Amino acid sequence: MLSAQGVTKRYGNTTVLDGATFDLQGGQVLAVVGANGAGKSTLIKSIVGLMRFQGRILVDGVDVARDGKRARGRIGYLAQNPAFHVDLSVRETAMFYARLRGASEERAREAVEAVGLGGHAEKMVGALSGGMRQRLGLAVAQMGDPALFILDEPATGLDVAARLELRDFIRAQRARGKSVVLSTHWLEDVPATADHVLVLDQGRTTFLGPSSEFVRANAARSRLFFRLNGHTAQAIPLIAAAAGEEVARNGDWLAVTCPTGEKVKVFEALVEGGITILDFRVEEATTADPQAVGGP
Amino acid sequence: MNAPISTPGVATGLAAPAVPRTAGLATIFAKELRDAVRSRWLVAFAATFALVAVGLALVQQEGGVASQGFNRTTASLINLCLLLVPLLALILGAGAIAGERDRGTLGVLLAQPLTATELLLGKYLGLTAAVWAAVMLGFGAAGLLIALVSPVTDFGHYLLFVVLSASLASAMLSIGVLISVVSDGRSKALALAVVTWFVLVLFYNLVGIGMALSVASSGETLLLSTLLNPVEAVRILAILSLEPDLHVLGPLGAYMHVRFGAATSAVVLTAAVLAWAVLPLVAANAIFRRQDA
Repeated sequence: MLSAQGVTKRYGNTTVLDGATFDLQGGQVLAVVGANGAGKSTLIKSIVGLMRFQGRILVDGVDVARDGKRARGRIGYLAQNPAFHVDLSVRETAMFYARLRGASEERAREAVEAVGLGGHAEKMVGALSGGMRQRLGLAVAQMGDPALFILDEPATGLDVAARLELRDFIRAQRARGKSVVLSTHWLEDVPATADHVLVLDQGRTTFLGPSSEFVRANAARSRLFFRLNGHTAQAIPLIAAAAGEEVARNGDWLAVTCPTGEKVKVFEALVEGGITILDFRVEEATTADPQAVGGP
Repeated sequence: MNAPISTPGVATGLAAPAVPRTAGLATIFAKELRDAVRSRWLVAFAATFALVAVGLALVQQEGGVASQGFNRTTASLINLCLLLVPLLALILGAGAIAGERDRGTLGVLLAQPLTATELLLGKYLGLTAAVWAAVMLGFGAAGLLIALVSPVTDFGHYLLFVVLSASLASAMLSIGVLISVVSDGRSKALALAVVTWFVLVLFYNLVGIGMALSVASSGETLLLSTLLNPVEAVRILAILSLEPDLHVLGPLGAYMHVRFGAATSAVVLTAAVLAWAVLPLVAANAIFRRQDA
């Protein structure tokens, strides 16, 4: 369904996307993961044909660079912050994009209903909340029943319930045999939705493989900080044994990184060792940088 | 955010539609036309033009020149038209792409089954139709009222002037769209459009031609000065059609009239205006197709 071969984007001497290569079959979901500036949006925009690039991208066998119009007819695109004409109503916006995509009025009406905006059809786009615009974006993306969905940071700005609905939407498309490319910096979205993961770091591909493998390699980790009431020398080997990592010392504070699911073991080890914890702090390793998640 | 997201068309089993070849161009054209009709600029322009035209006709009737009917009114409208039509067209054209870029809607539009050329051409044609409609509405209302108060003579010249105004609008819209494509924001595009209007409409006649002649004083310089400005070309065309008097034509028009004669001058000037309506648009399209959205 989607084939990217050596996709590269340069601005002068700066390479923002360096030879991204992957294939995605029908009914599969690819998560593109990376920190801000990693090249996710550049790759997404290249697939949609919004950017000129070196390399080759085929959507259902259609070359994006050579026949972008036909390729985009097979793509439903949701931008990171979908912007629509604020002087049009929801219904008018849906009709406008339905006509662009060759869809009927009925399909436009259904698309608006399907994303829960049926009751807001006459509301002007300028009066919609961010979440509602995101829904309108999904309605537009679904018009023309595309075979491939390209979702650029779709969870940005959504509350927890909306994010869960979005996951359901992605699963539903996969079940219908549609392919989905999803850019995200939320690693927890990966096991929930994706079959494959592409990790970008400063434009370069640092991981490409099944999501199960990615999840194993990037299990969530926490950084623990302790200030103890004496017995520091006694505490260090206990913490190291429980966390499986070396313990760093900085003044009164001890610090260690461990898998998030096992941080309780560190506390238990200290309590069982009779060591009093005066103060502590837990930092979840950021999901914005998959490289940092892999280790301190 | 309380209704769940589902997939349309699944329950009804609607088939995926095929996108008609002209759907993009026609849809953009229709939206641009609709936006322009909704816009107050265009209505205000048509109303102002009609009012001023009627006012001029009435003043001339009071002054005892009513028997000259359309011809006199047309001559009076030339300067007004050469000021207002370029300003309106340049501003509307300048907002075409830069406005979408500013609003963030350009990316969403270009992510549809639509080429950059279709988007650009659809916008240009939609704006052209809207400005033509405004020009015709303004002139039409004025013409109707003039016909009611004075004998209908020289109606052909009046119609020709309507066509010339519409052609000038097309040329200036084309330049406006080029400005829009090369500008990275709407305010920059509008500023450039106003500067362009000032140069072509005001500065050109007062200073530009004098400067050109001081650098290279020749008939070719005069001819080039005329062809390089669609406003000047339309002005000379309008005067040539009304009364090819050498004094009224000015130095550029007088040179062309003496050198080529009225008919050849009219053909050359018409070709120049048409070129101005096409070439900036072609350049805008070439640049726009190479830009990242």
